[in-house]
Amino acid sequence: MFGRMIRGTLFRQWKKMLMIAFTIALGASLASAMLSVMLDVGDKVNQELKTYGANITVVPKDASVLNDLYEVEGGSSGIYLREDELGKIKTIFWAFNIVDYAPFINVDAQLDDGSDVTVVGSWFNHHMDLPTGESLDAGVASMRSWWELEEGSWLDEQASGDSAMEAMVGTALAQKEGLKVGSTLNLKGSSADLSLKVKGIYDAGGEEDSQIYVPLNTAQSLADLDGKIDSIEVSALTTPDNELARKADKEGTSSLSVAQFETWYCTAYASSICYQIQEVITDSVASPVRQVANSEGEILNKTQLLMILITILSLIGAALGICNLVTASVMERSQEIGLMKAIGANNSAISLLVLTEIFITAIIGGFAGFFAGFGFAQIIGRSVFGSAITMRPMVIPIVAVLVVIVTLIGCIPAIRMMLRLRPTEVLHGK
Amino acid sequence: MSKRRMFVKMITASLMRRRSRMIVALLSIAIGATILSGLISIYYDVPRQMGAEFRNYGANMIFTANDGSFTAADMNRGAADIDEENIVGIAPYRYENVRIHERPIVAAGTDPEGAKAASPYWNVEGEWFKNNGEILVGKNVAESFRIKVGDLLEVSYTPGAKSDDKEADSEATSQEDEVVLDNTAYLNVVGILDTGGSEEDYVYMTLADLETLTETSGRIDVAELSISATADELSSYADKINSTVPAIHASLVKRVTASEATVLTKLQALVLLVTIVVLALTMICVATTMTAVVAERRKEIGLRKAIGASDKSIIQEFMGESMLLGLLGGILGSVLGYVFAQEVSSSVFGSSISFRPLLVPVTILVSIAVTGISSLMPIRSATDVDPALVLKGE
Repeated sequence: MFGRMIRGTLFRQWKKMLMIAFTIALGASLASAMLSVMLDVGDKVNQELKTYGANITVVPKDASVLNDLYEVEGGSSGIYLREDELGKIKTIFWAFNIVDYAPFINVDAQLDDGSDVTVVGSWFNHHMDLPTGESLDAGVASMRSWWELEEGSWLDEQASGDSAMEAMVGTALAQKEGLKVGSTLNLKGSSADLSLKVKGIYDAGGEEDSQIYVPLNTAQSLADLDGKIDSIEVSALTTPDNELARKADKEGTSSLSVAQFETWYCTAYASSICYQIQEVITDSVASPVRQVANSEGEILNKTQLLMILITILSLIGAALGICNLVTASVMERSQEIGLMKAIGANNSAISLLVLTEIFITAIIGGFAGFFAGFGFAQIIGRSVFGSAITMRPMVIPIVAVLVVIVTLIGCIPAIRMMLRLRPTEVLHGK
Repeated sequence: MSKRRMFVKMITASLMRRRSRMIVALLSIAIGATILSGLISIYYDVPRQMGAEFRNYGANMIFTANDGSFTAADMNRGAADIDEENIVGIAPYRYENVRIHERPIVAAGTDPEGAKAASPYWNVEGEWFKNNGEILVGKNVAESFRIKVGDLLEVSYTPGAKSDDKEADSEATSQEDEVVLDNTAYLNVVGILDTGGSEEDYVYMTLADLETLTETSGRIDVAELSISATADELSSYADKINSTVPAIHASLVKRVTASEATVLTKLQALVLLVTIVVLALTMICVATTMTAVVAERRKEIGLRKAIGASDKSIIQEFMGESMLLGLLGGILGSVLGYVFAQEVSSSVFGSSISFRPLLVPVTILVSIAVTGISSLMPIRSATDVDPALVLKGE
């Protein structure tokens, strides 16, 4: 009988029930869309912030001080990192968070007219097959996203090989020397003379504008530095620093307890990634670039907080919308309920009936809403960040609990009213 | 009783009699309006507020000399071309080669307050230098000389040496046989500077200290400016300064400006899309609520028709009622929305949001329109009914 009554309501009053389901679906879709976006916004913004370039630099131990103190030129201090260890960076614990990196070597060379120039060797679009079976394309083409290409194109090792006789020239130097795309550039290095073809002219808005960028092996052959590099710039997705990370920074990792160290090591703080890089690269010092690392943390935290607050507001909005409609639709049925009471139904039976009906509707609406909301989240992700929003399992229970609680709250005033209902009055039409 | 007063009385009476139901409807409209006005304020304020956060990346414009060096007066004249409230920090820098423990080190003289504002990411162990006689030592320098916070550091400078050129400095001291007396200053190490960049190789002191040490004054090599403005505004500032102040060349720090523009655009697009989705959904919620509220009054409509009301007058009255609701909800929503935006702004960015007067009429109009349109449909269908059928309960 109970089942028949419920079926009766759902089928005979399907229009009304559809409206309730629709409202609940709207609320649920709003909730799930906002929650998915909120949970993913950190990662997405973090990716965007990668346009600021590397947030970790790796240099040989003591090299910077030596260079400065004894004014040795062109980094010929004899301390280098090893090129063959570069692949190891992608094998550390947080390898997945390392989105890009590039080695650098600076060598001094002379142009035809005798003027000194700094030649920087690096990767541009270097392809690596990692031991894990994955592959990665890394290099300055993606790490110097703020460079404006005035003329020509980026160098590309994948197209022309690792030691191609090609170069990119800064705009200031190009103007001074009258270089254009296609012109030949004669460089006199300490161990070899090379003539390179200018492939591109860039405007970096910094000191790079008077430098020459060439493929790594080309620069190494200029100064007979095969297999050696000066520094590595790493672009990694990091977690904003908290108390633990600051403690590790300030007092050193030895001040952490074993449990703390484990937590620190297994969290993607800039400092723990640095620590892991130092473990795999011989005699290196990896340090976070404060300008990038600190600001990233600030901006990430702020964006997340902003999204959380907007999400809360929209959750409240969705909850109130559902509440309203549930209340209104139950109250509408006072006559029907009065009749049931008149023929002997008790309060608990009526409440159970109404609640069951509403909950069946809510579950249907909630399901539809959840998927619709996930669709909304994808639209937002695609159009803003150009990539899909990851589906987080934790959204499902949150939305489910929200729908249940909100529907229950929406039913409370209606049920209270029903309990107070006097059948004679209602049936009389008052 | 005039017709108008009767109309008003009918509307208010119907609102008052069905108080609880109307409060529910009003609440949903108010929530919708709150979301509308709150999110739009946030949307407009995000670039400004977030832009301030992006100033953490440090200077986005630098002044360099067109000809050797420039003076503080030139710098101020250049800065005067920029709207004052947009300037987050200006730091003049003068670089000299000094000697610490008989080894050459680059010393920078600057304005401590300005440097702190223009480079907020500098991480200092100990205290920031504030007064003359205090010095901030780069981490690498501190490590190689084992300098600690609290030490008294002897900094010497050979006057007459050509300071722009590193090699010239050391050669000058070794080659010249005549004894040049060094200027020496004793400075208090108040902090160790950690930036992860080349700043770690320098020492920082006040401009006045460096000028006393070198016995030359009025010279600045570089000025760093942190300005909160969009990329377009920045380049127009730079053009203006380049044309009005001949001594300096203003240029943008591309890495900071270009990246900021990319990220900010994305963020604003995100808030905009979220606003649109949230708004669309709340509007539909308001509409369904209004539909429900009107639909349950079919009986009343039937009765009115039975005693001779025209369709037009019924529609007018019901629309008047829902628009009044929309008006009240809109006013309530504008206030709540401003409070919400203020709350968000102060808890996220720690600053207050600017009040946008235009948003109040817009919010009220939109909520009136939404409630009006959403109740129009059910009223129309209700007036179509035969009063006899409705009253009979079919």
